[in-house]
Amino acid sequence: MIEVKNLSKTYGGTEAIRNLTFQVSKGEVVGFLGPNGAGKSTTMKIITGFMSPTSGQASVCGFDVFESPLEVKKRIGYLPETPPVYGDMKVRDYLRYVARLKRVEESQIDNNVTMAVAKTFLQTVEYRYIQHLSKGFKQRVGIAQALVSRPEVLILDEPTVGLDPKQVSEIRDLIKQLRGEHTIILSTHILSEVQATCDRIVIINKGQIVAQDSLENLSRLRSGTRHVHVKIRKGSGAEVALKAIPGVQKVTQGVSDSDWQLETIDKEEMIETIATAIIQKNLGLLEINSARADLEDIFLKLTYGADGNTGELRGEV
Amino acid sequence: MSPVQAIYRKELKGFFLNPGFYVVAFLCSVIFSWLFPNVLSQFAQDLQTTVFQPDMAKEQLNIHYRVFLPQLNILNLVLIFIVPALTMRLFAEEKKLKTFDLLLTSPVTSAQIVAGKYLAALTAIFALCLLALAYPLSMLAFTKFSWGPLMVAFFGIFFVGAVYTAMDLFASSLTESAVVSYVLAVILNMGMWFVGMGADMSDNQAVREVFEHISVNQHLAGLVEGTIRTSGLIFLGSLVFLFCFLSERVVESARWR
Repeated sequence: MIEVKNLSKTYGGTEAIRNLTFQVSKGEVVGFLGPNGAGKSTTMKIITGFMSPTSGQASVCGFDVFESPLEVKKRIGYLPETPPVYGDMKVRDYLRYVARLKRVEESQIDNNVTMAVAKTFLQTVEYRYIQHLSKGFKQRVGIAQALVSRPEVLILDEPTVGLDPKQVSEIRDLIKQLRGEHTIILSTHILSEVQATCDRIVIINKGQIVAQDSLENLSRLRSGTRHVHVKIRKGSGAEVALKAIPGVQKVTQGVSDSDWQLETIDKEEMIETIATAIIQKNLGLLEINSARADLEDIFLKLTYGADGNTGELRGEV
Repeated sequence: MSPVQAIYRKELKGFFLNPGFYVVAFLCSVIFSWLFPNVLSQFAQDLQTTVFQPDMAKEQLNIHYRVFLPQLNILNLVLIFIVPALTMRLFAEEKKLKTFDLLLTSPVTSAQIVAGKYLAALTAIFALCLLALAYPLSMLAFTKFSWGPLMVAFFGIFFVGAVYTAMDLFASSLTESAVVSYVLAVILNMGMWFVGMGADMSDNQAVREVFEHISVNQHLAGLVEGTIRTSGLIFLGSLVFLFCFLSERVVESARWR
């Protein structure tokens, strides 16, 4: 569906992306993951034909992006970083305008607009001016705009940026809903977003692909340790007791003396072992969970390098 | 509906559903309403005293020269400053609000984008010109005059307005800032009138002829008197084409820069 080969782009001496190669097959949801400034947006702009690369090729649905840009653009719905909306238009009029620009058949326009409005839950603001809408609604209008031509390929550049948590989860649900109907590429620097929505991940850093694989395969790459968080009633003497559990490598105290972070060897049965040990030692087990930081670890390792400086960054990502 | 039509309709709504346009039209009509009756009563007075001045030039007794041409001159002056105000947002604002991304990722060619926007701006300018034309035409209620030359003269000024529109659209395509686009456009519009002055500065015959030929005044002079010369039409037409083409190149350049 989408093929990118040896794509490079240089902006006046600065290399934004270097030798990117990847494929996306029909119906796949691919997450583009990378820190800010890694080249995610540049890659997306090139695929949409908005920008030309310095070298390399990109094709969508078999059409080369540079040879036949109009054919490619007919098949793509694109949401840029800033939703491209006109404040002085009403939501519905705006979507009709976009549908016309995208050469949707005149008889289909109303249908498509209604579909896009319904999918992005814009019914309540359909007849309001876009300038009066909140950021979340504007973002949704931006997504509706990408959907309105029923494109085969959807390219979403940070679709959930700036939204409140409820809106974020709504948009994630929407993306899950769209899976299968469209081939989707979405970029983000938020890990949980990729985990929630994508089949496959392309991690990109400093303009280069550092890893691309399915979610499970990437998770297997993890560093060989597992993080377990436990909460117990009796704090005193817990550290020694916890350290004594076989397989536990490191114990650190959390916010209070009932919160503990354990670093253990990577085995599925570690949770069971730890739980049994705590109960046997009568420490009063309140809570135990395996911290789902697997992907985050991989991401940090691949993009920021050595483990040493990941500590402070972890809070940010 | 073709993309040109879609863009044309969207921009036209942007002009005609915007209170700003009506404020501009109102202010223009204030200027016309102030000056036109003035010129007209001056002409009426001169007519009454002509009995005492038998050697007065015939042109002085013609409503076309004495009343209608001053009105068209005012219209021209108004257009120099109003056209940039109408066109400044066409590209500059799209770039600033990032809606330009939408146009550039739609299956629309740069030429179609420019054509849609140019035609919409031209329609708005035409509406303003019609407003100015209403004043001379109102004279039909009081007197009989030959309206052919008036129409040709009016068409001449509108054609010059079309050149301004093309130049100002080009100015708008160059920048993200509406203010910069406005200033640049006004300077371009005024420059059109000054470039002919080069003819007076040179003794070289060939240079003089070139300057005379690229002077708008020269080409407009025939039109305002009611004569249509193809050289003038071709000159103004090629200016429109040139600046629309330049705008198209600037829009296209966003794709390969």
